[in-house]
Parts: sequence; structure tokens; C-alpha cells
Amino acid sequence: MCGKILLKVRIYYKSTYTYKLFKMFQAELESFIITLGNIASMGLDFFKGLKNFPTTFKSIMEQSSRFGVSSLPITLSIVGMTSIIIAMQVAGEMVKQGGGNYVGMLVAILMVREEGVIMAGFAIISMIGSSMASEIATMKVTEQIDAIKVLKVNPIHYLFTPRIIAGTIMMPLVVIISSLFGVVGGAIASNLVSGLTYKAYFDSVWFGLNMHDINVCILKSISFGFVITLISCACGMEAKDGAKGVGVATTKAVVWSFVTIVILDLIFAAIFFY
Amino acid sequence: MGIEVKNLIKTFDKKVILDNISFKVDDGKILSIVGFSGSGKSTVLKLISGLLEKDSGEIITSGGDIAMVFQYSALFDSLNVFDNISFALQERKDLRGKYTKKELEKIVAEKLDMVGLAGIENKYPSELSGGMQKRVSFARAIVTEPKIILYDEPTAGLDPISSTLIEDYIVRLKNETNAASIVVTHQMSTIKRTADSVLMLYNGHAVFEGTPEDLLKAETPYTKQFVDASIEGPMKMNG
Repeated sequence: MCGKILLKVRIYYKSTYTYKLFKMFQAELESFIITLGNIASMGLDFFKGLKNFPTTFKSIMEQSSRFGVSSLPITLSIVGMTSIIIAMQVAGEMVKQGGGNYVGMLVAILMVREEGVIMAGFAIISMIGSSMASEIATMKVTEQIDAIKVLKVNPIHYLFTPRIIAGTIMMPLVVIISSLFGVVGGAIASNLVSGLTYKAYFDSVWFGLNMHDINVCILKSISFGFVITLISCACGMEAKDGAKGVGVATTKAVVWSFVTIVILDLIFAAIFFY
Repeated sequence: MGIEVKNLIKTFDKKVILDNISFKVDDGKILSIVGFSGSGKSTVLKLISGLLEKDSGEIITSGGDIAMVFQYSALFDSLNVFDNISFALQERKDLRGKYTKKELEKIVAEKLDMVGLAGIENKYPSELSGGMQKRVSFARAIVTEPKIILYDEPTAGLDPISSTLIEDYIVRLKNETNAASIVVTHQMSTIKRTADSVLMLYNGHAVFEGTPEDLLKAETPYTKQFVDASIEGPMKMNG
């Protein structure tokens, strides 16, 4: 009797939204832990393989060209427009309030410390990270990764190493070029909006920026380049179940990369600026 | 010796996919594994090639490389035919740097010649027909001179003439490499034209083992249903 009542309660509970929400949360949590574990284990495998340098200079150059050259136009556009918007928003007001001498400094610090890196990161994730994830995911669902394994080649070493090395090297270059572009864009916008002279703007830039900002910017961009490529490759490698799986893996790579670089950005800000 | 499989067991999520499967294939012989979809045929190949880990049982080989030809070729679409075929020679840790560019070109040309596709080194997989892609994947498989070659539904998706051509190449490669070969297939024509022996699986169990002639003559309900391609019989597609 008691058993029957318990069974009915269990059946009722399983039909409630509370239970369904709980199961959904449980599945998401499981998926999160599995993905985190996969990224960590593949990252470890990447580092283990580095001692034998399991790639070629040609592969690194191919990936670097894809990472740097292909992404530069969109990165420059995004970072450039962001700095123009910032300059347009603040230059007029600051000049009116007598703070014209600080516009360059404000734009440059924002660009070098935050906007240049994070906007470039977002652009790289959308353009390069997603393409890497979908490429590897397609290879996974079409058994190309299995073929690599059967041919006794480690797919992590063959596919990840050139991409991660290229991302880690090229990201600082892309960030430096786009931040410079942003600072120059800010100068043009400030001049057009408030009549601020280029000399006053750039004097303010030299006054406000210091080597510490630039060093942290480079360090941050190196870490962003590393995590974006690692996450994109690892999420691609998790793909299963055909075309739908490729889409899921690509979305996961983009979301995970976005969240990770924002968390990293917070950690960098906490360590280096407070 | 080729390859010997003893008491192989594999489960996925508590579901038994292979239950105590045993067979042996000698060098220069072809075993055809047949059965309906989901009977565990491809799992056998994945276990032998190391793509999956067995739960228990033994896989004994005479050493040397194991090559696999995938159902849809699995050529690397970003690489041309030359790089696809020489992939293992260029990228494998123990072979990297062992061959000069000239030697690689010679080896690739030889292998392409063996599959009747000389001179297509610079083409990309997307420029080839399904049958040609399959033959390039044969050339890629034999580049390291393997002792065991596994074929996963080699004629799937091909027209009858291309299928016949592929079947001929399976026999030709067996003769030229003396490798022990295992061909997973659904098609009677492939069994008749290539196999020295046949193993039929159903629900992870071996329900027939013998020669292709025995398969055609056997009066068991499983073999009769398979040979007649009948939906009536002990084997259910969802079973």
C-alpha cells in the first residue's frame, strides 16, 4: 500500500515542471563539466605534444595567415568604429568642460586596456573561432578524425598545435594593429566632432599611456589567442550526430570563448589594475 | 597468421553490441562480415582498428599496421590527393622526415597506379566522383603496407558498375599486399565477388560462419532471410 502511494507520488513528481527544470539543469551541468574536462584534457595533450613539435612551419604559417590576415579587416572595422563612437560620445562634452587635453588619454587607455583586446577577441571568436570549430566538427562527423587516428597520427597534435600556436602568436599582432587603428580613429573623430587638434590629442595619448598598459595588453591578447583557439578546437572535437552536431559544437565554441575571455578580462583587471 | 578475434564483448550504455564474437582471418584471405544495420558489424572494425576499446576478449594480430577504408571514404577535404595518400608518411611520428619529396611522389604514384588512378595527385577530393574517392582512400590505406585492411561498407552509395570495380580492387589489393582483409557489407555481390569466408551477425551474436557458397546453400532461418532479403524471419530491423 505504502509502496503504491510512493510510486504514484514519484510518477506525479516526474510529470511536474519542477522535476523537468531540475533534469534540464542537471543535463546542462553535466554537459558543462564534460566540456570543461575535455578542454582541459585536450589542452594538456597539446602541451605534452609540444616537446616533439608535432607540426610544421608551413602549417603554422597557413593558420597564422588565416588567423591574422583574414580577420584583420573585420577586427579593424569593429575596433576602429568602437573608438570613433567613444570619441564622438566624450570629445564634445570634455572639450566643453575644459577637459579636451584628456580625450586622447581616455580613448587610448580604453583601447589598450580594454576595448581593443576585448573587441578584437569578439571579432576573432565570431570569424576564426567559429570557423575552426565548424571545420574540426565537420571532420569529426565525417570520420576524418577517425581516419587520422587509424593512420596513427594524434589528431590533437596535428590539428590543434598549428592553430593554437598561430592564435597565440597572431592575436597580439592583431590587437596591437587594431588598437593603434582605434587610437587614430579616435583622433579623427575628436577632431571632426569637437575641433580638438591632433597635437593635443596625441600629447594626451603619450601622457596617459604607459608601458605597463601595453605589456598587460600584449599578455592579455596572448592568453585570449590561446583560449579562443583551444576552446574552438576542443568544442569542434566534441561534435557528434551529423550536421546538427556541427551547429551545436560551433555555437558551444562561440559561447564558451565569449564567456571565457570576459572572465579572463576580469581576472587581468583585478590582478594588474587594482 | 593475419588476425584472430576471441570472445569479443562490447557494450554501450549497458546495451550489448557484440556478445562473445570469435573469428580468424589468415594472411591473403578476406572475411566478409554481414548482417542488418545495427548488428554490430562496424563496431568490430572500430575495435580492431583501436577507435573503440573492447570490454573483454582478445584481438591477436601478426603485427604491422592496420588500415581502414571508411564507408564514405573520409578523405581530408582540405588536402589534395597527394597529401591525402602520403598523410601517414608525412605526419606519423615514426615516419616523419623518413622520405624525401621525390620518394613520396614515387610511392604515391605507385599506389595511385595500383587503384587505377594515375596522375590525379593534384586534385582535391571534391573534384572526384564517389568511386574515385573510394579508390583514393584505398591508396591511402595501403601506403604504409598494412598487414590487415578493414573495409567498412566499401560499396555503399556507389552505382553497380563502380561497386564491381571497387570489389575487383579489394581482391587485387589482397593479392598484391597479402594482407588479411575484413569487409563489412550488406551486399550479396560484394560477398560473392570478394569473400573467402563469411560471418553473419545479428544483435551482436554470430548466427552464421562459413564460405559464401555455404551461405547461399544454408537452410537456417537467418541465412535464408538475409539471402532472400526478406522482411519475414527471425531478424527484425528494430531488434
